[in-house]
Amino acid sequence: MTTTSMSSKASEGASNASSLADPRRASWWVLVVFLFPALAIYVGLTAYPAFRTFYDSFFTIEGLDATFVGLDNYRALMSDETFWISVRNTFIWSFIAPVLDVTTGLLLALALYAGVPFARFLRVAWFTPVLLSYVVVAILWTWIYNYDWGVVNLALRAIGLDALVTSWLGDPHFALAALIVTHAWKWAGFNMVVCLAAIHSLPSEVLEASELDNCGWGAKLRYVIVPMLRPTLLNLYILAFIGKMKIFDLVWIMTQGGPLWATETVSTYVYKRAFNWNTFDLGYPSAIASVWFVVVCAAVVILNRLLATRERLEY
Amino acid sequence: MRASKLSLAAITVATLIAGAAPALAQSTQITMWSNWPDEPAKKDWVTARVKDFEAANKACSVKLSFIPKADLYTQAKSAVRTGQAPDIFYMEPDQPEFLAGGFLEPLDSYVDLAQYEDWSKPAWTAKGKVYGLPVEAYTVELYYNKDAVKKAGVDVPASFQLTQEQFTDLVKKGVAAGITPVSQGVGDRPFPGGLLLFESLLRKLGTEDYGKLLDGKLSFKDPRVVEVMTWMKALIDAGAYPKSFSTLKLGESHFYFYNTPGALTFPDPSWFTGRAFAPPEGGGMPANFSLGIMQFPAMDKGACPECKTLAVAGSFVMYSKSKNKDCAGALMKSMATVESGTKWMEQVSLQTGLKSDPAKINSPRKDYFAELNARNKGVKYFFGTPLLYYRAKCAETYTQVMNNAFPAGLLSVQEAAEKMDGACFKS
Repeated sequence: MTTTSMSSKASEGASNASSLADPRRASWWVLVVFLFPALAIYVGLTAYPAFRTFYDSFFTIEGLDATFVGLDNYRALMSDETFWISVRNTFIWSFIAPVLDVTTGLLLALALYAGVPFARFLRVAWFTPVLLSYVVVAILWTWIYNYDWGVVNLALRAIGLDALVTSWLGDPHFALAALIVTHAWKWAGFNMVVCLAAIHSLPSEVLEASELDNCGWGAKLRYVIVPMLRPTLLNLYILAFIGKMKIFDLVWIMTQGGPLWATETVSTYVYKRAFNWNTFDLGYPSAIASVWFVVVCAAVVILNRLLATRERLEY
Repeated sequence: MRASKLSLAAITVATLIAGAAPALAQSTQITMWSNWPDEPAKKDWVTARVKDFEAANKACSVKLSFIPKADLYTQAKSAVRTGQAPDIFYMEPDQPEFLAGGFLEPLDSYVDLAQYEDWSKPAWTAKGKVYGLPVEAYTVELYYNKDAVKKAGVDVPASFQLTQEQFTDLVKKGVAAGITPVSQGVGDRPFPGGLLLFESLLRKLGTEDYGKLLDGKLSFKDPRVVEVMTWMKALIDAGAYPKSFSTLKLGESHFYFYNTPGALTFPDPSWFTGRAFAPPEGGGMPANFSLGIMQFPAMDKGACPECKTLAVAGSFVMYSKSKNKDCAGALMKSMATVESGTKWMEQVSLQTGLKSDPAKINSPRKDYFAELNARNKGVKYFFGTPLLYYRAKCAETYTQVMNNAFPAGLLSVQEAAEKMDGACFKS
């Protein structure tokens, strides 16, 4: 027997041993057949559009003619006043609104956990807005904010606070806040359910120990519950943050970015530039979308690093 | 054997006939997107024209859809790029990008342009060709509630035109009587908030200088412009518009005017009829409503008190990449007739860019038409509203500033003028 034939037999044996060791291992062909549909969908509907958006941002597209303009769209963007207003507004949405969302959700969850009367009914009632579409929510809250007969102003008039009656969506000082409140109302139920599940999964021995130590509700909340919920709350915050960096539907239906661009977000501005500006040019809106894609990715990475806890909770 | 041969021949013939029958009966189907899903009279007019065409042209059939304007524009913008646009679609002259992008087919060789009113042709003319079928035309009118105005203590003069001072008085008396002076809202439209101001600017500046203002060749800081804006600001501060101005939608502002809570006046293009003449249970004007039409107020030392805006609106265009241009062209031709124009006037009670025969108009709204014609007698027309002139950033600034923030009382005259000049002034 030659050395070659020995090594060939050895490798054959190894191969057989390998296949015998893990009979679940699929061949390349099987992998390709199973992965191809998902990959094709991903490439066609996600990767290619993203790449094409980036590619288009270097062109001015008039009708069917595309002219290469290099970085001109990006340069124009840097001096675009409306873009910077929309960036400011989107950052306000993204950093402040999630605090409101998560806090409201946590408070509602605590109320249910503490056994507030009619808890079962309230749980359903508080969760219902999550099931409504943005269109319904937007129309509903446009009515609520109506100057003449909206419930907010009616309530203010009823308690004699007529001086505070305002056109909530028509005043640049209040419009953005009014939208943020609407959004918090819609998502409070979702945050509540997640927080409630997290509270129920807290180790009972830790909570019981705190009660044995005569820890009051406030102290228990501050020193035991909230610290142990920290990972859940952070995840909720980051999820809300990402959602708000792309906020569009609610703003478009309620204010279309007005009054005086007070509620303009990057998404509404991209849409306006792509479809509302009497031009077929997709180059400039593509540049905005590309820049914002990078900003969102960077912000999520930074937030994760800043908020990630290094302390491991042990219980 | 013979029987089987006969059977085979019979089957063959039957198969050939069956195969040929659909081919003989097969017609070319064209697609058409129209606006006006919520305006019954206009919808009926379009539907009737399409049915008449199909009855007279068995070789063509039409798949007709009614889509709200904003959605239609958005869909059309995507569809023309990908070659998926309908053969015929609704368009207004304020969307010039379709023409500039080469997506529209010239209609010169399909329709008889002699059937167009001469004034309507320029709205759709580019490079010597005509690209649209101008179905809907309008003038900008100042509608008013005769009873309410009288109740407020204002007498409308025989000229039906108040002076600046008299209009200010009307606003103040309306506020004192607890009636909103001007029903207007901008919750879903980019233009209505500017109607009163810009019609007043037209009367102050005259057609030539007003044209310069809209072309960006005249500053909003021109003393005459500032004078009109200052007067307008005083009306706004006096409470001319509803407090819900920013969120009130166009349809709601109609209801506000002739139903609840009621207003003295309603500046609106003469397409007013599309909503107002719907049945009252469908949000239309009550049968006993005392509708009148005024002229917009004459400005002090105004260059043209008799001026008025005229514009072409709802039109139909043909897609340049249509594969069914013969049928689409035939449908356009069948719509571009004096008879069609007459039926439009009769059914919709609104002007049209097509020629019509006034003698044959048999409308239940004869009185309304008579009053509209009386107000338009002897006027000097300026063609086009601001949004037909403004583009891109300038149009966006008009929408945010002149349509919304200034009439809502959020900006001073100087701030509004600066913002408009910043976006629109060319020198």
